[in-house]
Amino acid sequence: MNRRLAIKQVLILAGGVVLLPSCLRNEGKSTLSLSNLDISLSQEQLLADIAEIMIPKTDTPGAKDLKLHLFVLKMVDDCSAPEDQLKFTKGLAYFEGLNADELKNRIAEVNSGKPGIPEASVDFYRIMKGRVIGGYLNSKYVMSNLVIWELVPGRYNGYFPVKTA
Amino acid sequence: MANINIDSRKKNTFDAIVVGSGISGGWAAKEFTEKGLKTLVLERGRDVKHIVDYPTTNKYPYEFEHRGELTQAVREESPIASRCYAFREDAMHFFVKDKEHPYVQEKPFDWIRGYQVGGKSLLWARQTQRWSDFDFEGPKRDDFAVDWPIRYRDIDSWYSYVERFAGISGHKDGLQALPDGDFLPAYPLNAVEDYFKKVVGSKYANRHVISSRCAHLSAPKQIHFDQGRGQCQNRVLCQRGCPFGGYFSSNSSTLPWAEKTGNLTLKPFSVVESVIYDDRLGKATGVRVVDTNTKEVTEYYAKVIFVNAAAINTNLILLNSTSTRFPQGLGNDSGVLGKYVAFHNYSARISAEYDGLKEFTKDGRNPSDGGYMPRFRNLLKQETDFKRGYAAGFNASRSPLRDTSGFGAELKAQLLNKELGPWRVGSHMMGETIPKESNYVKLDASKKDDWGIPLLKISVDYDDNDAKMKQDYIEQMTEMFTEAGFKNITPNVSSQAPGLDIHEMGGVRMGYDPKTSILNKWNQLHACKNVFVTDGACMTSTSTQNPSLTYMALTARAVDYAVSMMRKNEL
Repeated sequence: MNRRLAIKQVLILAGGVVLLPSCLRNEGKSTLSLSNLDISLSQEQLLADIAEIMIPKTDTPGAKDLKLHLFVLKMVDDCSAPEDQLKFTKGLAYFEGLNADELKNRIAEVNSGKPGIPEASVDFYRIMKGRVIGGYLNSKYVMSNLVIWELVPGRYNGYFPVKTA
Repeated sequence: MANINIDSRKKNTFDAIVVGSGISGGWAAKEFTEKGLKTLVLERGRDVKHIVDYPTTNKYPYEFEHRGELTQAVREESPIASRCYAFREDAMHFFVKDKEHPYVQEKPFDWIRGYQVGGKSLLWARQTQRWSDFDFEGPKRDDFAVDWPIRYRDIDSWYSYVERFAGISGHKDGLQALPDGDFLPAYPLNAVEDYFKKVVGSKYANRHVISSRCAHLSAPKQIHFDQGRGQCQNRVLCQRGCPFGGYFSSNSSTLPWAEKTGNLTLKPFSVVESVIYDDRLGKATGVRVVDTNTKEVTEYYAKVIFVNAAAINTNLILLNSTSTRFPQGLGNDSGVLGKYVAFHNYSARISAEYDGLKEFTKDGRNPSDGGYMPRFRNLLKQETDFKRGYAAGFNASRSPLRDTSGFGAELKAQLLNKELGPWRVGSHMMGETIPKESNYVKLDASKKDDWGIPLLKISVDYDDNDAKMKQDYIEQMTEMFTEAGFKNITPNVSSQAPGLDIHEMGGVRMGYDPKTSILNKWNQLHACKNVFVTDGACMTSTSTQNPSLTYMALTARAVDYAVSMMRKNEL
C-alpha cells in the first residue's frame, strides 16, 4: 500500500490525478508476477496492442504471436532502473482509453517525434520500442527462422563474398 | 595422542603444495605431478569440472531469462563485477560478487575475481603474445622499477614448451618486438583488417598489424587430443566454458592432465590464510588453510610451496604470513612486498567506418578477435615525452543496415533486412603502466573477512605518463585511420578504474637484489628458498602483451628448477 501511495503522490506532484493508472483501481492484475511494476490486465492488453502495432503479423508472426509484450514487462520489471520503471508506467497512461485507430494514430504521432507530447510518454515509447525490438530479434522464432543464430558455426571466413543485387 | 598427531601430520604432508588453480596454478600442478611429486592444489572456491559444470554452455540467447542482460538487482548488488565485459547472464556464476568478498579501496580499483577451480582461466580473453627483450630490458633502459633478472633467452624454450601443450594459434610474423612461437595455424585477418595491415605496413617502417595470437586449437595435434580437447568450433562463447575444450583453461587442460598422473590432490573450498615459516629450520613448512564452509583450520605440509593465488591475493597471503623472522610478511626483508603494483591501461578506444571492400563480409566467428598491433612507440629508442608504449587491438566487421526509426510492417522489414551496412572498425589500447612504490596493496589494520583473514586495501592509480600515452594512442590511431581512408573516426576515452583490465601485476617482484625485490630469477623468494611465486604478482614490469602466456612459461620453468634443486637436496 505504501508503494501505491508513493506512486499516487508522485503522480499528483507530476501534475494531476487524471493520470492515475488503472492499477490503483480494483481490476484484474497482469498475468505476470511482477516485482516492481504495477500493471493491470487491461494495461497488459494495451501493451500487447502497442507491440503489435510496432511489429505486426504479416506473412510471419507478429508481436502478439511472440508474446513480446510479456517480454517487455519482464525486462522492464527486472532490468530497468527504478526511474525508467516509473517513466514506463507513468507514460503508458497517454495511450490508454483509445480505440484501435486512435491508438495507431497516437503511436504514429509519438513515433514521429511530434512536439507537445508529454515527456513521460516519449520516455515510455522509447523504452517500449527498444524492448520490443530486442525481444523480437532475440526471439526463438526469429533466431531459428529469419535471422539465423548458430550455436556452433565451426568456421570463419574473413573474405565472404557479398551477393550484389 | 602423539601417534594421532604424527598420523595426521603424515596424512597432510605432500611433496608440493600449489596455492590456487588458475592459469599458473594449473601449470604448477601439471609440472609437479608429471615429475612424480605428490601435489596438493588448494582452491578457495568450488570445484568446476570440465564440461559437467558449464551449465550455460549450450544455451541459445533466447534461453536466458533476460537474454543475457544483467538485472537491476544484480547490478546494484555487484557494481564492480558488473563493469566487467564478461559478467553477463551467461557467465556471472564464474565471477565473485562484490558482497561475497569485500576489499578496501583507498583509490577506485575494480578487482575482478573468479573464485573456483580454474579461476579466471575459464574467463580470460585468450590472447597470448610472447615478451621480447624490449620488454625484459625495459626497466633498465628506461630507468624505472628494477632490472628484470631474466632475459628472453632464459624463457624462450619455456614459451615453446607451454605453447605446444596449451595450443597457441598464430603466424610467424618475424617481428623484433614480438617473437614468433610454436604455433598452430593462425586465424586469418578479414578483408578490412588485411587492408589496414597493408596501409600501415606501407606507411610506417616499424608498425605492423598481425593476426592476434590466441590460445585456441585451430588445428589440434595429438597432444591436444590426448588432453581430451578438440578443434575450436568458432562459437566465441568461451566465457561459459567450452564443451570442445577449444580454448586453453586449467579445467580443460592442465588439471585433468595432472589428475591422470595419480599424483594430484585437489581441495576446493580451501582458502590459504598464510604460509607457515619455521624459524628453526629457516624455511617454510606448509600452509594454514581455512575450510570456507566449516571454517575449520587445517595445516598442510610440503617441501616446496608455490603461491599462485592470483596477483593480488598472492600479495595478501605473503603479507599475512608473519613470523619472528618475517614480521612484515614472508620474504619481506626489503619492505617492497605489496608495492610496485601495476596494470594495463585499456582506457581508450577508437572506432570508425570504411566504405570500401563492400564485396566482402565475414562469415562465422573469429575466436582470435582479429588483428593486433605490437608496440611501436619508443621501441628502438625513446621518441616521446612519456615512457614505454602501447599495443593495440584492431578489428573490422559488418552488420545489416537496420533503420529502426519507423514502426509497423516497415520496422519489421528493416529488422529482417539482410543488406549490409559499411564495415565498422575498432581498436583499443593496451598501455604499459610504470610500477611505482605509491601503487600498492596492504592488509587492512582491523577489518577481516568471514574466515578471519585481513581485508586487502588497494591503492593503485593512473599517472601523467598514462595520460600522455593515452593521448598519443588516440593521435596515432586517428592518423593511421585517416591514412586508411576510414570515416567518422570517433575516439572514446573512458574513465575506467585500474583493475578492470584484469591485468594487475606485481607486488612480489623479481629482481637481482634482495634489497629491492622479493623473488630471484627462478621466481624463488630471496629469503625463503622453498617458496615460489609465478603468477602475476611476480612481474617486475608489465610490458604491453597480455601476461598469461608469460605466467605459464615462468611457472613451468620454476617448477623444473625447484624439482632439480629438491633432487640435489638443495631446497
